[in-house]
Amino acid sequence: MPKESLILTNDVRQVSLLGDFVKSTAAKWHLSASLAGQLRLAMEEAVVNVMEYAYPDGVQGTIEIELFKDGQCISVVISDEGTVFDPTHVMSADTTLTAEDRPIGGLGISLIRELVDEMSYERLRNKNILTLKKKL
Amino acid sequence: MNASVEEIAGKYIATLDGELDTAAASEVEEILKPLYSAPNPDIVIDCSRLQYIASSGLRILLSILKSAKANGGKVVLRNVNEDIKSVFKMTGFVNIFDFE
Repeated sequence: MPKESLILTNDVRQVSLLGDFVKSTAAKWHLSASLAGQLRLAMEEAVVNVMEYAYPDGVQGTIEIELFKDGQCISVVISDEGTVFDPTHVMSADTTLTAEDRPIGGLGISLIRELVDEMSYERLRNKNILTLKKKL
Repeated sequence: MNASVEEIAGKYIATLDGELDTAAASEVEEILKPLYSAPNPDIVIDCSRLQYIASSGLRILLSILKSAKANGGKVVLRNVNEDIKSVFKMTGFVNIFDFE
């Protein structure tokens, strides 16, 4: 099964490397620009959550991102060694509210749910492991 | 990612050019700061060259909209491409922004 991987630290400036990684993998695997854009957005939202919340301030941590392709789907596995956090238990934002009533933020996990077909979480050997699957 | 704001005949035209990811968001927010405090602002955000937006960018757009409404103004998003429009649909932004 084709696989590509990237390791980032918990510094949001590194998010641009994620964009480059998704683009080069999409070119290699002949994915459409639209699918690549959706994957990139879902991955960025998940990775930024880890960058911002998994590790205490001032502590450098790593985030490992792996992409797999089989005949049916693209799988993304994002793992970190930070605080236990299961995004599948976070409620989606209410996207029906007016501008005045909307809180600023909180859209990241809702977007992941919209963009991928499956999202699952496990805690294994002190790691948070988030798996996203997007059908081809 | 590039961003700019111009004031022309009482109207603010902001331009977003490139990929508004989380790495770019704080710099873009700084550039768009004049939009937050303007009284009765008439704001157009030109998105014709915007290729990508993450939730950190959506947060900036929502903040601008909230402050414009609170200051008696309005915000129009111009020339949003289909991929970004689909992100606006997922988040309900299509219902709170005006488009042209």
